[in-house]
Amino acid sequence: MAAGPVGGGSGGAQTAWVLNLLTDLAFNLLIFFVVCASTAEDEKGRPQQMPSASKEKAAEQKNTNIEVAIGRTDVKVNGEDVPPAQVKAKLATLLAGKTRPEDKIVVVKSAKDAPYSHWIKVTGAIEQAGGAITLQLEEEQEVVR
Amino acid sequence: MRFARRKLDVTPPYVSMADIAFNLVLFFLILAKTQDDSNRLDWVPAKAAGGQAIKNPLISVTVDRDNRVYLNGQQIGLRDLTEKVAALLGDKPPTERSVVLKIHHETLAATFEPIMEAVSQAGGEVVHVIEEERPS
Repeated sequence: MAAGPVGGGSGGAQTAWVLNLLTDLAFNLLIFFVVCASTAEDEKGRPQQMPSASKEKAAEQKNTNIEVAIGRTDVKVNGEDVPPAQVKAKLATLLAGKTRPEDKIVVVKSAKDAPYSHWIKVTGAIEQAGGAITLQLEEEQEVVR
Repeated sequence: MRFARRKLDVTPPYVSMADIAFNLVLFFLILAKTQDDSNRLDWVPAKAAGGQAIKNPLISVTVDRDNRVYLNGQQIGLRDLTEKVAALLGDKPPTERSVVLKIHHETLAATFEPIMEAVSQAGGEVVHVIEEERPS
């Protein structure tokens, strides 16, 4: 900090001292606003309504609801390959006539090697098309001897 | 010989005090910002559309580049996740039950799906942290 001598002096020296203090204040204000601006940046998030994933329920729904299988790079809607960019349109067509919330449930089954970046885009498309996501988790296989 | 006692005229340095006050404000602002341990974790968000601003998330689950799982910045095993998230959520009303998921974009479903299931079972509302995808 560039605080000058307290007191006074000749006219020129006093002006220089006041300028020093003002520069200090200006710098502090600048830093203050820079810090404020960086903390004001909020993270972006997407809430996802997700009914508790239950294996039995998902198995029941499998027969009646739309099923989306997410692979490593591909997507299958009711077993049919659909380019990821067209998932939203395809689902919007399939969900068009459905009015009851339970009919709008889309069962999502993901391959173990499906990356999150692919998954989040596909599930986003499902939600934008009006579907409600339910995860179908792979059942653990028990080995009985 | 007698000297006349000079009266000392001491003026508090108000301007310097203002400087110190500003610096203290900055110090506490930066301190508060670094309190969230999850900021130092190594993960890259997935790009997607439809993001909304998240205000004051209370609980965060992070999966880093090396598939390690953290609850509020502390490393945790998947088996304990449901129990600990449920304990943190307690009896909070539905509007305060958000759990933000900061999942590295290359994480595989074998890792992130059980996390979502655990948060869902604990009664949390899943909020995916994403990077807003700009339309090309």
